[in-house]
Amino acid sequence: LALPEGWTAEKDIKTVGKLSGATQRTLEPVGPYFLAHARRARHKRTFSEDDRI
Amino acid sequence: MSGAKSVAPENRTVIGLTFGNSNSSIAYTVDDKAEVIANEDGDRQIPTILSYVDGDEYYGQQAKAFLIRNPNNTVAYFRDFLGKDFEHIDPTHNHASAHPKDVDGAVSFTIKDKAEEDAEPSTVSVSEVATRYLRRLVGSASDYLGKKVTSAVITVPTNFSDKQKAALLAAANAADLEVLQLISEPVAAALAYDARPEAQVEDKIVVVAELGGTRSDVAVIASRQGMYTVLATAHDYEFNGVALDKILMDHFAKEFLKRNPSAKDPRENARGLAKLKFEAEATKRALSIGANASFSVESLSDGIDFASTINRLRYETLSRTVFEGINRLVESVIKKAGLDVLDVDEVILSGGTAHTPRIASNFSNIFPQTTRILAPSTNPYAINPSELGARGAALQASLIQDYEADDIDQSTHAAVTTVAHISNAIGVISLNAAGEEIFVPVVPAETAVPAKRTVHVAAPKDGGDVLVKFVEGNTHIKVTKPEPKPKEDKTAKVEDAADSDEESDFSDDEEEEEEKREKVWKIGNTLAEAAIRNVKKGGKVEVTVQVNADLSVILTTREVGAQGGVRGQLNA
Repeated sequence: LALPEGWTAEKDIKTVGKLSGATQRTLEPVGPYFLAHARRARHKRTFSEDDRI
Repeated sequence: MSGAKSVAPENRTVIGLTFGNSNSSIAYTVDDKAEVIANEDGDRQIPTILSYVDGDEYYGQQAKAFLIRNPNNTVAYFRDFLGKDFEHIDPTHNHASAHPKDVDGAVSFTIKDKAEEDAEPSTVSVSEVATRYLRRLVGSASDYLGKKVTSAVITVPTNFSDKQKAALLAAANAADLEVLQLISEPVAAALAYDARPEAQVEDKIVVVAELGGTRSDVAVIASRQGMYTVLATAHDYEFNGVALDKILMDHFAKEFLKRNPSAKDPRENARGLAKLKFEAEATKRALSIGANASFSVESLSDGIDFASTINRLRYETLSRTVFEGINRLVESVIKKAGLDVLDVDEVILSGGTAHTPRIASNFSNIFPQTTRILAPSTNPYAINPSELGARGAALQASLIQDYEADDIDQSTHAAVTTVAHISNAIGVISLNAAGEEIFVPVVPAETAVPAKRTVHVAAPKDGGDVLVKFVEGNTHIKVTKPEPKPKEDKTAKVEDAADSDEESDFSDDEEEEEEKREKVWKIGNTLAEAAIRNVKKGGKVEVTVQVNADLSVILTTREVGAQGGVRGQLNA
């Protein structure tokens, strides 16, 4: 989208909303990507911390 | 799995195992590739049958052959009885073999498993039957691998209760097998496909249709960057392989009676029926491969031999009701997941009955052309549907074989597996060729958090200052009815129809023209707006959305190739 005339915001970003919904569901504990997720979850690591290891 | 058998990781030899009502298979991994193991009979699909003759134990194909001559001491179709009370089982499939018996509410079989002529028949619990069978299965794998198999990942249906799982674990432990994990059959099938080196990790909705002998199970799975969430499942015990066998049995029995009017109906004596069933199943398999198949049984009834043939078209006509039942099952579970066939990216056909070419071609008609139908007859890269479960289990076994048993328990604990999945997709607004605002998804709906996705979106052609608008979006199905014909035209056609039959057919065709259904994105709440200044002509904008476990969102965007960029955060 083209930037409308006179659009300004602090640091050029303006947050307006938030996520409207989520449901609790169960992941299948299968596959390499889940195991990576479980590792992050158990050690409370973030994606970038995990990448560094 | 407290109290369960456990083996130190360094001492393990692992396999993947599918344990079905009709067939079972075993697989191992070599160089990260799963291979299905053939047993000493050369079978990769090993019938789940155990039989005793003169005190010798037979399993698999050999035991299956004894269904004809030694049905009373042969146990078949017992997997689904594990962990169930006698009053809750369906013994339909056991009429032609040892019958399940009620022993204090538990399921048992009475069979002569001792060599001595005058020995009393033994009463063997279903759990013991499973243990004996699993021992043979694992023994085959050990012989093949040249070392003792200690551990396995076993697949189970999605509707297996905790009690059934516990009973299976106990039976496996009694067979001296450590169960590393029980995984869902449809997820194992999805993993078997996703673990192939050429597969790309992506966000997709997958329908796994597991079509077996005594049951058909369908699951809708949200596959999000290699992580699987089951959205809906359906189970059916009517439209299955056994129903297809029955159709062929009836067909050939009628033909036999027509040719031999004085003979007795082979379906009315146990041995004739067993022979019919054995051969019907073989003919059915042949019809999945060739366009014609033969059917022949020696001494089918009254000592009369019978030989005949059938072509695939005739078989498909006879089996239509079963095929349509399977179609309805698939459609119902997609509806149950709150989705439409247009939302489905991939259909995996799994299980023995999934070899049927007609079922795959029916699915091609149900789903849009963009949906991949993974079956041997519709996709050259399809994996053998009978092997998917065992391969998936073998891959999972190789992934977790180095974990301590405690580690596996903790990683599969509900605290780790139960997480929030976002209800709406998160994306940005872009312009299409016609200059209309369109939604470009970045993180699809039903993605488990935390999640992070990056996409590149074309900036307006002329570049300059660009507004990146982050929004939520969801899909709905837009139905466009064919334009109604002008009234005059219609009456004219009716008149024509009176003149000629051909033209009336023509006008019918036109009226039946299908309505057009398409998936369209609806733009929802705005989440944030960001500006990127001085984007080059024809430039692209990189958009990254990260949703954290607490549902806070970090949004970043920059011009592709540029430094810096803007970053914002939404609180949960």
